[in-house]
Amino acid sequence: MAIHKLEVLVENEPGVLARVAGLFARRTYNIDSLVVGPTENSKISKMVIEVSVEGHSLEQVIAQLDKLINVIRIEEVLEGAISNTKHDTQPDYQN
Amino acid sequence: MAHVPTANGTAMTGATSLVKSLEAANVDVMFGIPGGAILPAYDPIYDSTIRHILVRHEQGAGHAATGYAQVTGRAGVCIATSGPGATNLVTPLADAAMDSVPMVAITGQVPSVAIGTDAFQEADIRGITMPFTKHNFLVTNADEIPRVIAEAFHIATSGRPGPVLVDIAKDALQKQTTYEWPTTMDLPGYKPQNQPNQSAINDAAALIAQSAKPIFYVGGGVIKANASRELMQLAELLGAPVVTTLMARGAFPDSHPLHLGMPGMHGTVAAVTGLQKADLLITLGARFDDRVTGKLSTFAQNAKVIHADIDPAEIGKNRYADVAVIGDLRETIKALIPALTATLAKGRADLAPWLASVNKLKATYPLGYDTPADGALSPQFVIERLGKICGPDTIFAAGVGQHQMWASQFISYEKPRTWLNSGGAGTMGYAVPAAMGAKVGAPDTTVWAIDGDGCFQMTNQELVTCALNNIPIKVAIINNESLGMVRQWQTLFYDSRYSNTSLESKRVPNFPMLAEAMGCVGLSCENPADVDATIEKAMSINDQPVVVDFRVHRDAMVWPMVAAGTSNDEIMIARATAPDWDSQEL
Repeated sequence: MAIHKLEVLVENEPGVLARVAGLFARRTYNIDSLVVGPTENSKISKMVIEVSVEGHSLEQVIAQLDKLINVIRIEEVLEGAISNTKHDTQPDYQN
Repeated sequence: MAHVPTANGTAMTGATSLVKSLEAANVDVMFGIPGGAILPAYDPIYDSTIRHILVRHEQGAGHAATGYAQVTGRAGVCIATSGPGATNLVTPLADAAMDSVPMVAITGQVPSVAIGTDAFQEADIRGITMPFTKHNFLVTNADEIPRVIAEAFHIATSGRPGPVLVDIAKDALQKQTTYEWPTTMDLPGYKPQNQPNQSAINDAAALIAQSAKPIFYVGGGVIKANASRELMQLAELLGAPVVTTLMARGAFPDSHPLHLGMPGMHGTVAAVTGLQKADLLITLGARFDDRVTGKLSTFAQNAKVIHADIDPAEIGKNRYADVAVIGDLRETIKALIPALTATLAKGRADLAPWLASVNKLKATYPLGYDTPADGALSPQFVIERLGKICGPDTIFAAGVGQHQMWASQFISYEKPRTWLNSGGAGTMGYAVPAAMGAKVGAPDTTVWAIDGDGCFQMTNQELVTCALNNIPIKVAIINNESLGMVRQWQTLFYDSRYSNTSLESKRVPNFPMLAEAMGCVGLSCENPADVDATIEKAMSINDQPVVVDFRVHRDAMVWPMVAAGTSNDEIMIARATAPDWDSQEL
């Protein structure tokens, strides 16, 4: 079962963790681990989420996460390097 | 309604700031009920140019906001107090989320110091509604009210529309603040993509030009995007058949020769089979819902998919998209028309054999129904006559169940925003309050609620609101003394064991008397010969709500039907009767 690590920048507002955790729960995505911490910008927090994708595509998980208004940016962490582009469902067609 | 603008920098209470913000958001009407926590807001509402309609149950306020939004395309607004007032909005919020309805719900919350203490009438409505609001806010600082209201309306109405809840602590409403309506919005995580990518448009046009069996799979997004005119141009340019889902009825005229009707569990044979046999689905603002696809793995197995939607998360959610076009549908179709024109000019597949085969299905398997031998009234006949007599300008709002399917099937919808129903959530009790909101949004249009006797008993109290506020809706109760759709499933799948689906009587309650008690005109009809005269009588009364109790036979069933979880290939046109596939060439 593939595990993907996502770095998610979110607005530092009350309830953001509940929004993310609730989304994963109701869409039956599995969180393997979750770390939340501050960034240099006090208005923005960073979540590092390890998600095991089974029965869902990673693209769908990212697209649903991206719909949360407080989620600013999602990056997949690959083999120690961070991909530069923000993920979305169909990267070929993003402007 | 034009409100007098309030100058930024004016000192006032948070409550006044809320009302001035709603005025600045161009709200002309809201539906609600006051209570302790929201009470500070009701004092400035008393002086506001916004019309507040006092409903009888908060659920009525929520569905009325939806009906208003579905008819006008603008955000519907409802308002309630904390605790049970707020939780009574939960069902309409869930309903609005499923059907992508722009709505802003305002709730009072207990004072900020009391939040988290299990205070009187405290409910964590922000937590409760997270799963089915597009976004929600809890405001504890009066200074934030204008910004939050501006953001709430922006989020509710842009991108894929949806409900937004704003929960405001009582002390934030009471405190003094300075009104500052924002000139810009800072939502770093919210940037809906309205303009489609041109390379995606070109790929879509290329795929369409190669297709010998294309079909337009049209969803409610076309209505949300006000793209019906553009859809007509595109459909006629290609000359391919069109199906309109339950949420898209009216997006494309039923009378158009390219229209095959509604797909899905109770769709026409032509629409269901057209999707199954197509080699290309041109999907416009639809979401491959299970009620449309049937067993997903067997849905349109030979088709490639173009999926155009404003919401990137719909792409690939249920069905892989060969070409995805993200953007506002009106912009998308407007871009697709010239691209397709250019591509078709270089050569195109001959669609004549495909059209001939779907048209043969349409001719062979039209929608129909049996008339009971004992002369009892057919529910389908009542609904068919309502559509014929009232005409294509009338707005129809249905409840949920058999009557909803018949109202979708047997009324010809020619224009967008004339068909309202609870498609995704399937909310019994939607019809009466939604019709109320629709009539407020379109006061010069005839609005009929077509409701079941089960549904009607869930929310009919809003007829009092209608009677007292000059909202003369008309209600047709399709009274079969049953929870008819559930009964149909019991007939088909539970060996006719009618556990708890009989409502026992067509006489209790006495619906005409109940209507009269609520300040409406009550009529009844149980003879087919009286249907037209009864409808015409109801149409002649325009200064009061009218309720007509149509007492129909209880054994009518909705056909065609694809049983839940089965393949669309197994569509039945009547009990144990499949279409005669051997005579069809597809």
